Amino acid sequence: MLWPLLVLSLLPLSLAAEKSAHEQLVDLAAAGNGLIQLNEQTYDLLASPRRNWSAAVHFTALNPQRRCAPCKEFEPSFTAVAKAWANAPKEHRDKHFFATLDFDDGHAVFQKLGMASAPGVHVYPPTEGPDASAKKAPFKYDFQNGFEAGPLAEQLSVHTPIPIPYKAPFDWARAGSIVSLIPIISLIFRFIKPVLQNRWVWATGTIATSLIMTSGYMFTRIRGAPYTGPNGAWIAQGYQNQYGQEVQVIAMVYGILAGSFLMLIVVTPRQLSATRQRTQAYLWTAVNFLMFSILVSLFRIKNPGYPFKLIL
Amino acid sequence: MPAAYPLPSDLSPATVTNTASLLRIIALALISGAAIASRLFAVINFESIIHEFDPWFNYRATKVLASQGFYEFWNWFDPTAWYPLGRVVGGTIYPGLMATSGVIYNLLHALNLPVDIRNICVLLAPGFSALTAWATYMFTKELKDESAGLLAAAFIGIVPGYISRSVAGSYDNEAIAIFLLMFTFFAWIKALKQGSAFWGTIAAVFYFYMVAAWGGYAFITNMIPLHALVLLLMGRFTGRLYVAYSSWYAIGTLSSMQVPFVGFQPVRTSEHMAALGVFGLLQIVAFAQLVRAHVSSKQFQELLFAAVISVGLIGFFGIVGLTYKGWIAPWTGRFYSLWDTGYAKKYIPIIASVSEHQPTAWPSFFMDLHFLIFLFPAGVVMCFRTLRDEHVFVIIYAVVASYFAGVMVRLMLTLTPVVCVSAAVALSSLMDAYLDPSEPNVEDDKNGSSTPHSTGTTPSTALATSKKTKKNKEKEASAPAGGVLGELVSNVTSSAVAAKSATTAERGVFGMDTRLIVLLNSLGLLLFFVVHCTWVTSNAYSSPSVVLSSTSPDGSKNIIDDFREAYHWLRQNTAEDAVVMSWWDYGYQIAGMADRPTLVDNNTWNNTHIATVGKAMSSPEDIAYPILRKHDVSYVLIIFGGLIGYSGDDINKFLWMVRIAQGVWPDEIQEPNYFNRGEYRVDSEAAPAMRDSLMYKMSYYRFAELFGGQQPVDRVRGQHVPIQGPTLDYLEEAYTSENWIVRIYEVKKDDVLGRDLKIANAFDQGKKRKRTKPMSRRKSISA
Repeated sequence: MLWPLLVLSLLPLSLAAEKSAHEQLVDLAAAGNGLIQLNEQTYDLLASPRRNWSAAVHFTALNPQRRCAPCKEFEPSFTAVAKAWANAPKEHRDKHFFATLDFDDGHAVFQKLGMASAPGVHVYPPTEGPDASAKKAPFKYDFQNGFEAGPLAEQLSVHTPIPIPYKAPFDWARAGSIVSLIPIISLIFRFIKPVLQNRWVWATGTIATSLIMTSGYMFTRIRGAPYTGPNGAWIAQGYQNQYGQEVQVIAMVYGILAGSFLMLIVVTPRQLSATRQRTQAYLWTAVNFLMFSILVSLFRIKNPGYPFKLIL
Repeated sequence: MPAAYPLPSDLSPATVTNTASLLRIIALALISGAAIASRLFAVINFESIIHEFDPWFNYRATKVLASQGFYEFWNWFDPTAWYPLGRVVGGTIYPGLMATSGVIYNLLHALNLPVDIRNICVLLAPGFSALTAWATYMFTKELKDESAGLLAAAFIGIVPGYISRSVAGSYDNEAIAIFLLMFTFFAWIKALKQGSAFWGTIAAVFYFYMVAAWGGYAFITNMIPLHALVLLLMGRFTGRLYVAYSSWYAIGTLSSMQVPFVGFQPVRTSEHMAALGVFGLLQIVAFAQLVRAHVSSKQFQELLFAAVISVGLIGFFGIVGLTYKGWIAPWTGRFYSLWDTGYAKKYIPIIASVSEHQPTAWPSFFMDLHFLIFLFPAGVVMCFRTLRDEHVFVIIYAVVASYFAGVMVRLMLTLTPVVCVSAAVALSSLMDAYLDPSEPNVEDDKNGSSTPHSTGTTPSTALATSKKTKKNKEKEASAPAGGVLGELVSNVTSSAVAAKSATTAERGVFGMDTRLIVLLNSLGLLLFFVVHCTWVTSNAYSSPSVVLSSTSPDGSKNIIDDFREAYHWLRQNTAEDAVVMSWWDYGYQIAGMADRPTLVDNNTWNNTHIATVGKAMSSPEDIAYPILRKHDVSYVLIIFGGLIGYSGDDINKFLWMVRIAQGVWPDEIQEPNYFNRGEYRVDSEAAPAMRDSLMYKMSYYRFAELFGGQQPVDRVRGQHVPIQGPTLDYLEEAYTSENWIVRIYEVKKDDVLGRDLKIANAFDQGKKRKRTKPMSRRKSISA
């Protein structure tokens, strides 16, 4: 019922060119440098139920009013993959199309598909011809690996006639900056050499590294833990969990505790005045005891079953 | 010079030395006793049983070794693992652990002590922990002195970070590997200090033992070259370094290649290239040094310098080029994922799925290392103060290991020794400063610094006796006591203690109260540490995980023995060649306890095979059934914790099965299909793919019947499962253990009338046959 209407709407286009739907798409793709900018009509053309081609359609909302930050982030990746496909051999290239549909060009399509969020990528398998797929439902890309082009190309390659010839572009900017750093470093090497030869510079670096690492910094990096929790909570519940701020607090607590020991070992015995030495010894012992109590009480929050406590 | 407390002066130096060494021996013996005893919680609370998963395989292999001899073990092909592929066991394991217990077994039997091989396996780890304490003592002694050594030994003896991998019954490679690690490092330090090829060879022999025992040997393979390289960059190249490194590398590499599992890796993989590169670099530098000693021309020396650098660069690019060409294998995934932390999750989910490969949150550090974790940086600073060659080693070790421990929970094990060592250095420095009875002489501090050694003599002899009264204190206290003695004895014998010798008179502590407050605080910390370690060991690390226990509200203990119950059922009630399919975690246990062939096990070498099991578990019945039949599977075993709240069950691991299957069949299995709007649910809102999956059906089959019409509750997920439970057509329930933790299903054979089982089932239940064609897929299988 809808079909004749669609054909009617497409009539001017197809009449003018007197081309089959496939040829039109090929032309559109060539015009867009491998990427078809869709609107409602061309979408229906591309996703027509009788097709001997496959298509990867990218749904997005790039209009600044839509405030879709992920869309902006993902758009270059999809374009890069589509451009890479334009370099595929001609006989394969025309069996698969890359297209993008902006929300503002196709409200109706978004509504029809029930898409509530953008960006999204659907891959429509061919329904006719030698490559026809048994599956009718489009494959939906799941963004599990983020918005990068590499994984996208890899996943879409499963659905294209031949793997997408996508290669990550060489990062000239980074290579250039590294190359330019070499003379700079060799120039200032003379000035930083005494710094590099100072053992306490290295000691500071070593201590900082081990403090940060033993405070769970890598956990927050790998898991992408937030800096603080909801409602300003800064201690994550649970033994195997933590927020970014905990790294700072715990590293500081460890640092103070280690520092108090160092003061007692190195500085205090060197004092030549008895009163000053006594004050220092008491002070650092008190700091040590207090910080350790705080540490234990923090640990009790993370592990409520822990039976021991000091004064806190 | 005044003393803070009186000391007897009628003791000869010989008496002091003898008493000190006797006390050291006693302290070490007590530390060994404590180390072994604290690991026996598992045996006392449960029984003498092999723990967890991997140890079951090691135990099975050791049994083969003990009963059939070494050559049978060496050539052992196990047809029951990885059915139908089988596994060449001799060439795919590190045989050091089994060989060790085999030797002990044969030794005891030669002495007419008929000890069961199981008890040797169970008690091997505690036994070796005593040796680890000794090796740590020797290592720390090289860094500072005996007192620090005893402290370090005491720390590593009871620290939970090491106990977690070495309780009785935890019969795994790590059980002996940490001793080998520490002893190799000790031998390396010794070789480096003395420039001794003998100690270099000892290091190489223990390195070989380590290679034969644990895959973590790569840590040594890279730590020692890194140390050598840093020394080189610091301008500390000496003949001693050259001799030590060359003898270690040449003998160690050649011998490590004798292990079949390692083979030619030392010259073919990137993990080993650092060692080779540094070896080459040392040769070049040594040669240049030699030439330079014989020529005087300045120009020639400059030419030499340039030649060394260019040869080094050529070698470096040569290795890079060979890697690029594929002659040298690049980093393996497990190793690479330590640097690129997102790598494993993307490309090798099977590595990322293992719980001990997760990153470490700070509570784990505190739980495992307690107060050592903040003494550790202080100890590293003390190392920087002295900074001899061996201190450089500890510093590098500290940085590298704390990074690794942050990335992977299991690498906490490699961090633990260095934490113990440097914490011991810090604490013993503190004790040195505050136990020394000499007070600084403020009145005439100009003259005070005249004879530091002679002033040390009198107080030290006295301290020896005053300490004897405290001897019957507990072990922790005896360690510092022995330590102080060691320190003072070294003063008596005028042996060089670098940090102290010159500055004794200028630094010192006034009065008794200052000493007492600091020492009491430290003693309190030590006592708290002991209590903490005992609590953690008994509560967290002593569960065999084969046998579970729960505590009732009245405090009585309930033993949950479902695993052994179910494995025993399999052993008694199924055909000997009946293939059992389960997730890979349980492969070793099924092989070890039920003695049945398995599809996949914990030796995760074949990703596709594991993905096949994952696909079968996550597909609907009619897709899974052909897979099961193709692999001759007779029984499917799953773990279900929903009834008693056992959270380590298969539904919680299910997403990993999906992910691993998705890695191989991306268009058939897709992870998002198992979520309902991003939520992982098992209740009536569960995603259709989830509800239809074999795993879900097997888990909740007849679950509702337990609740007698009430809404059934899954205690792990805390969700209400639908009253109308799933039905099974292609499988039937064979066995469910007492607490429903283990459920075993039998795979139905083909219908006798050649019908599809679904239709046959419907017919049996008297349902009218639907007008659908039988699946064509079924036909192709039975054909």
